[in-house]
Amino acid sequence: MTIRRAVSRAIAGIAMPLLLLAAWSLIAREGWLPDQILPAPGVVLATLKEFIASGDLQDATLISLERVAKGFAAGAVAGLGFGAAIGLSPRLNRLFGPTFLGLAQVPLLAWMPVLILLVGIDEGLKVILIGIATFIPVVLNVAQGFRDVPPALREVGAVLLFDPWSMLTQIVLPAAVPSIFTGLREGLANAWQTVIAVEVFASSEGLGYLMAWGRQLFQLDLVLAVVVVLGVIGFALNWGLARLERRLDRWQVRPA
Amino acid sequence: MFALEITGVDRTFHVAGKPVPALRDISLSIREGEFVAIVGGSGCGKSTLLRLILGLDRPDRGEVRVGGQPVRGPGLDRGIVFQEHRLLPWLTAETNVAAALRRSGLDSAQRRQRVAEYLDLVGLTAFAKAWPAQLSGGMAQRVAIARALVNRPRFLLLDEPLGALDALTRLRLQAELARIVRHGGTTALLVTHDVDEAVFLADRLVVMQPHPGRISDVLTVDPAARRDRSSAVFLRVRDKVLGMLGVETEAVRAGAYETAA
Ligand SMILES: Nc1ncnc2c1ncn2[C@@H]1O[C@H](COP(=O)(O)OP(=O)(O)O)[C@@H](O)[C@H]1O
Ligand SMILES: [Mg+2]
Repeated sequence: MTIRRAVSRAIAGIAMPLLLLAAWSLIAREGWLPDQILPAPGVVLATLKEFIASGDLQDATLISLERVAKGFAAGAVAGLGFGAAIGLSPRLNRLFGPTFLGLAQVPLLAWMPVLILLVGIDEGLKVILIGIATFIPVVLNVAQGFRDVPPALREVGAVLLFDPWSMLTQIVLPAAVPSIFTGLREGLANAWQTVIAVEVFASSEGLGYLMAWGRQLFQLDLVLAVVVVLGVIGFALNWGLARLERRLDRWQVRPA
Repeated sequence: MFALEITGVDRTFHVAGKPVPALRDISLSIREGEFVAIVGGSGCGKSTLLRLILGLDRPDRGEVRVGGQPVRGPGLDRGIVFQEHRLLPWLTAETNVAAALRRSGLDSAQRRQRVAEYLDLVGLTAFAKAWPAQLSGGMAQRVAIARALVNRPRFLLLDEPLGALDALTRLRLQAELARIVRHGGTTALLVTHDVDEAVFLADRLVVMQPHPGRISDVLTVDPAARRDRSSAVFLRVRDKVLGMLGVETEAVRAGAYETAA
C-alpha cells in the first residue's frame, strides 16, 4: 500500500467521527437539546479528565475488562470445542445441534433470573452471562466453518494418506480460520455489550455501573464519557482480533 | 505384468432414488510405463473411473487391480492431478509439494531435497515460497503436477489437468507433461476431452461413450503421430477419434482417409 493510499484511507475513516462531533457541538451550542440531555463535547471531555484524574474511570474500566476477559475466555474456549465437535461429527450434531439452537434463541437477559437463583448475584453471574453471550456466536460460526471445508480439499488429504491429525491441522483448521474469527469477533462484541448490561442491572462497580449512576444523578456528561470509553475499547479489541486474523491468514493475498 | 487391470467394473449412483449407471462393464489393462488417454464427452464416467483407481470409491461389480493388488483405498503408489489445482491455499508452493511427503517415510533432509528436485522438474524453483493465490493457473497446475509426482508413484492419474487453462498455456504444458512423464518412466492415465492433446501425449487411446459410461474403442497411436501435430498421421488419428465421438470433420466426410486408415 502506498503512503498516499494509507493517508487517504485514514482520512476517509476519520471523516465520519469528525462530522458527528461537529454536529454534536452545533446542537449543544445552539441549545437545540437541553443540557441535561446532551451536554457539550467540552463538558464531556472535562468530566472524562476529572474521572481519569481521580482514578475512578481506570478502576471501573479494569473491572469491566477483567469480567469480559474471564467470560470471553471461558465462552470462547468452550465454544471452540463444542463448535468443532458438532461441526466435525454429524452424529454429535444430530444429538446436540437442535437443543443448542433452541437454547440459543433464549434472550440472554432471560437467563438472569434463573442464574441469580443458581449462583447468586455475585461475580459468577456476570462471568457466566458474558460466557454465554460469547459461546453462542462462537459455536455457530465455528461449526459452520468446520462443516464448510471444501470436500475437494478433504479428498486431497485422503489421496495423500493424511492421518486424522494432519487432516485437522493441515486442512480443516486452516479452512475454518475465517469462520472462527468471525465467531470470536461476534463473541467479543456480545461480551462487551453484556458486561455493560449486567453492570447496569446488577453491580456496584464497573463501567456499566458508572453509566447507571450517572443516569440516576442526571449527569449525562458522565454517561457520554463512558460511551466514548466503551467505543474506543470496543474498537481496539476488534482491531486486535482483526490483526491476529491477518497474521494467521497471510496466505489470503489481498489487493495491495 | 500389467500396472493396472480393470475387469468388468460397474458403478451405479442413485440420484433422487433413480439409478444412474455411471460405468457399465469396463475392462482395461495398462502396461508398465504406458501412457494411456481416455477421451469422451462429459458425463461418460471418466472421473468416476479415476476415483475407483484412486480408491476414493468402490465398484459395485468387477475389480480394479494396481500392480497386481486389488485397490482398497488411496495409496502413495498413485498420484493424481485434478482439473482444478486443489493446492492448499494456506501452504506455499514448496510446502504444498512437501505435504505429499508426510507419509513417505523420508527424513526431513531427504524431503527438502525431493521437493526441490520436483519443483525444478516443473520449472518453478523461483516460486517455491509463493502462495497459490499468487500463481497463475498454469503455474498452480505445475505445482499440482509436482505434488502428484513427488512420491515417485508408479501410476500418474490426470483428470483433465489442462482443461481449465488458456490455449497457449495448455500447449506449453502438454509438451512439459510429455517430457516429465517420459523422463520418470511413470505409467500414466490421462482423461481429457481434447482429442489433440490425447493423440499428442498417449501411446493408446480409449474412447468412452455416455449413458451408461462404457468403452467403445481402443486404438494404438503411431509414435510418428506425436512428432508433428500437423503431420498427416496425426490428423488421421485425430479425425478418426473425433468421428468416433460423433464429430465429423471435413476430411473424413470427403473420404480422405478411406484407403490410409
Ligand atoms: N457422487 C455421485 N453421485 C451421483 N451421481 C454421480 C456421482 N458422481 C458422478 N455421478 C454421475 O455419474 C456420471 C458420470 O460422472 P463423471 O464420472 O463425473 O463423468 P465425466 O468425468 O466423464 O464427466 C454423471 O452422470 C454424474 O452425474
Ligand atoms: Mg470429469
